[in-house]
Amino acid sequence: MSVSTEGPSQIGRPLPRREDRRLLMGAGRFLDDIAIPGALHATFVRSPHAHARIVSIDAAAAASMPGVVAVVAGRDVAQWTTTQRMAPPIEGLLPTEMTTLPIDKVRFQGDLVACVVASDRYLAEDAAERVEVEYEALGAVADTDAALAEGAPLVDESLPSNLLSHQSFSSGDVAARMRGAHAVVEASFSQHRQTHMPIETRGCAAVWDDGRQHLTFYIGNQTPHPLRTQLARRLSLSESQVTVICPDVGGGFGQKIALYREELTVAALARQLKRPVRWREDRMENLQAACHARQAECRTRAAVAADGRILGLELQIVDDFGAYCFYPGNYIARVVALILTGPYRITDYAYDIKAALTNKCGVGPMRAPMAMTSWVMDGTLDAIARQLGLDPLAVRRANMLQPADFPYTMATGEVLEDITPSQTLEAVVAAIDYESFRRRQVQARAKGRHLGLGLCSVVESTTYGSLFYKAAGIPGSGHEAAWVRIEPSGAVNASVGLMGTGQGYETSLAQAVAEGLGVETSGVRVQLGNTDVAPYGMGSRGARGATAGGGALYLCGRKAQDHVLRIAAHMLNLNSAEALRLADARVQRLIAGAWVDTAIGLADVARLAYLDPQALPDGVAPGLDFSLTYDPPPMTYSNSAHACEIDLDPETGRIAILRYVVAEDCGAVLNPIVVRGQQQGAIAMGLSGALLEHVFYDEAGQNLSGTLADYLVATACELPNFEILRMHTPNKRTPLGLKGMAEGGVMGAIGALTNAVNDALAPFGVSADRQPLAAPYIRGLLRGRIPMTRTTA
Amino acid sequence: MNERTPIILSVNGVDHEVSVAPRRLLSDALRDDLGLTGTHVGCEHGACGACTVLIDDRPARSCLTFAIQMEGHEITTIEAVARDGAFSPLQQAMHEEHGLQCGFCTPGVIMTFEAYLRDNPDPSEEDIREVLSGNLCRCTGYQNIVAAVKKAAAVLRESRS
Repeated sequence: MSVSTEGPSQIGRPLPRREDRRLLMGAGRFLDDIAIPGALHATFVRSPHAHARIVSIDAAAAASMPGVVAVVAGRDVAQWTTTQRMAPPIEGLLPTEMTTLPIDKVRFQGDLVACVVASDRYLAEDAAERVEVEYEALGAVADTDAALAEGAPLVDESLPSNLLSHQSFSSGDVAARMRGAHAVVEASFSQHRQTHMPIETRGCAAVWDDGRQHLTFYIGNQTPHPLRTQLARRLSLSESQVTVICPDVGGGFGQKIALYREELTVAALARQLKRPVRWREDRMENLQAACHARQAECRTRAAVAADGRILGLELQIVDDFGAYCFYPGNYIARVVALILTGPYRITDYAYDIKAALTNKCGVGPMRAPMAMTSWVMDGTLDAIARQLGLDPLAVRRANMLQPADFPYTMATGEVLEDITPSQTLEAVVAAIDYESFRRRQVQARAKGRHLGLGLCSVVESTTYGSLFYKAAGIPGSGHEAAWVRIEPSGAVNASVGLMGTGQGYETSLAQAVAEGLGVETSGVRVQLGNTDVAPYGMGSRGARGATAGGGALYLCGRKAQDHVLRIAAHMLNLNSAEALRLADARVQRLIAGAWVDTAIGLADVARLAYLDPQALPDGVAPGLDFSLTYDPPPMTYSNSAHACEIDLDPETGRIAILRYVVAEDCGAVLNPIVVRGQQQGAIAMGLSGALLEHVFYDEAGQNLSGTLADYLVATACELPNFEILRMHTPNKRTPLGLKGMAEGGVMGAIGALTNAVNDALAPFGVSADRQPLAAPYIRGLLRGRIPMTRTTA
Repeated sequence: MNERTPIILSVNGVDHEVSVAPRRLLSDALRDDLGLTGTHVGCEHGACGACTVLIDDRPARSCLTFAIQMEGHEITTIEAVARDGAFSPLQQAMHEEHGLQCGFCTPGVIMTFEAYLRDNPDPSEEDIREVLSGNLCRCTGYQNIVAAVKKAAAVLRESRS
């Protein structure tokens, strides 16, 4: 006999990950670990110019080299593939179209020119060096100022200018608020270009079965089904002629979503050559030509009262979108603008957002596409504090939404509910002991040490439902699909349209199924990444995995449990399944307030359902197969507050992070071990990006950061341990109260670190308005400056 | 450049006859000629550390080593760390402390510290971070890897005492 335990039994358990075993033993199976007999190797010839016409391509010498099977260029591949058109119905966004490989001109250094296929990778790379390309160099635009200048060279000659996208919005009367304000505070934020740098670069392998007319495409990708749709369409194949298989993936962070031109070329070549073709990009290609992210120039103007309250706020963003559109050009800036005001009460708000094409690698979403949001918002609050001589914490408290304010409709119409920004802020302020820090800071300054403390509150948009897509004009949806199958033995298999790149799905999603079905997590296997096995879902992006994917699996598990109990009731000669439940794969009955084991288990029901269907209740079909789709609310939000303490050395400009505390409220969690790992990883990525990482182009559009000695990523020596305060306010609209998380850490880290630097810089009368916060930049700010004795009134 | 030379590669205690071109990387020979795909290649320029193996018990970048130079040397890869299917103390600690997410850098991290902990049974956190700085991890932020190395060191000290 067992007594009812309230609340979930499977989710929320800190189960170690089941995927670890293979990964720790060197038995993982990443793309390059898949042996494909007879596979040819592709390598790409890339442009050395930022912008140039392709005058001629002479592949004769390359094609005659031993082992070389084919050399193809843009015109060849255009015969086998269709173009990509990006033309969603979004006002102010110009439609763009690209061929699979460029035909007439290249648009950035590293752009594609030709593809060489040979019997091994060494020979393919030898031959690529022998492809002779004649270019006519064109003027290049290497930043948005140059791109938007009168008479600038056109990146895309089908467009009237390089202004790809322009939208504006206004709510309330911002101009009136400016006129009536105690002060108007202006601040600027320059976010530098970064790239995802997954530790496994991109790659793929295409196997064309000419007899069956079927393509099997192996690729590490976050969204297998949407990728298959794209791949089939652009090869003019049916979706039933393409199988996408994602093996273990060495990190994605948003880089592995789009169907890239290299991948489509490899698939087309496998079909044309009727031989398997595989491709692995090298690190330089990954850094220069895979996908970049983040670059934006941003300004705010805030009308404020004497106590620091914001009466009205204006935002301007100019995104540097690079040379090609793999996503709608307004998409990233729009999310920043939509959620900018986050945890603060700001009723009068206006934004103006632009995206410009430049002669640089195209950009896409990178873990927290809206990463700069919280830096811009809390950085604006810090600018207000500096200008008005107020304490930054006091300015936050004066503006912050309080528990009684929720649900709260933001000026943009977005609804915030079930979030706790004032609680996370106060928790982090208490944990880092803000008041005593201020005393220590004064004492340290007296000794010539410059400590800084930065705060940053985050409201993270996590799960986007189909209604969000519809409202944004973006084709696609935010729903997710799942199936659960109980096998004749009672073993449980399940699948969902997500694909993991390190998130521990095989463990945490099994917990969601187990919770819904009423079995131990160890009895559930989750299969992901094979489009012949998984249901058509939207994949892994944003922070949708737990809510959309976990939610769908949980609901599907519930559906399965209801069905199993209906059969069990019949087996137990009961009229109804109402007083029955499945727990640990046993059917239990509620008798006098206690759950009592019956003689029946899941395996007994399964045996009946498969092998003795005549014994099933009337109207119940044989087998135990379940599926469903789940469409989350238009948007779910998590929230957090970050506090970062640093020591800034004015002599060298070096920043040492002394302490990092975060309070995060991400609702119910599937697996706290996995969630903690995601929190640590997200903060680390934010700090690394704000401190070190920089995709650097010179004025001519040459990329100078093509190795990991130039594109610096934080090592264990630059990062601190993270102190995490956990909060779990459930979302009332989602299954189990899930909210999603894993991007907010990036948002908060970027802001908290920069705010800490500015706190340390305050006595010098300077502030940092750009990243990365590299030592030479900090030194440049401080040159000729001496510290003043007091920083705030 | 592409002419092949037969050599003996001694890997995980087993001698393998392979025929390699002089420029063939050890990482490629291990993965593609011997099928030992646990060694991962992350950057091919010695920066990321994913390809770390032991050459005569010392950590080395297999992407910066030519296979043809390895005759007469003993190479150890991730496949030889577990014994009879059981985790080493470091692998066990990495599992318990959630020291890996995507797992691509993990073999390199493990090879680095299997060697390090043999010679340094009681490292400080600063020591561990210094050594770990030769291995890039994009997922974890390193905190749990550091915790795992500390735990493994304690287990190893216990087992030796």
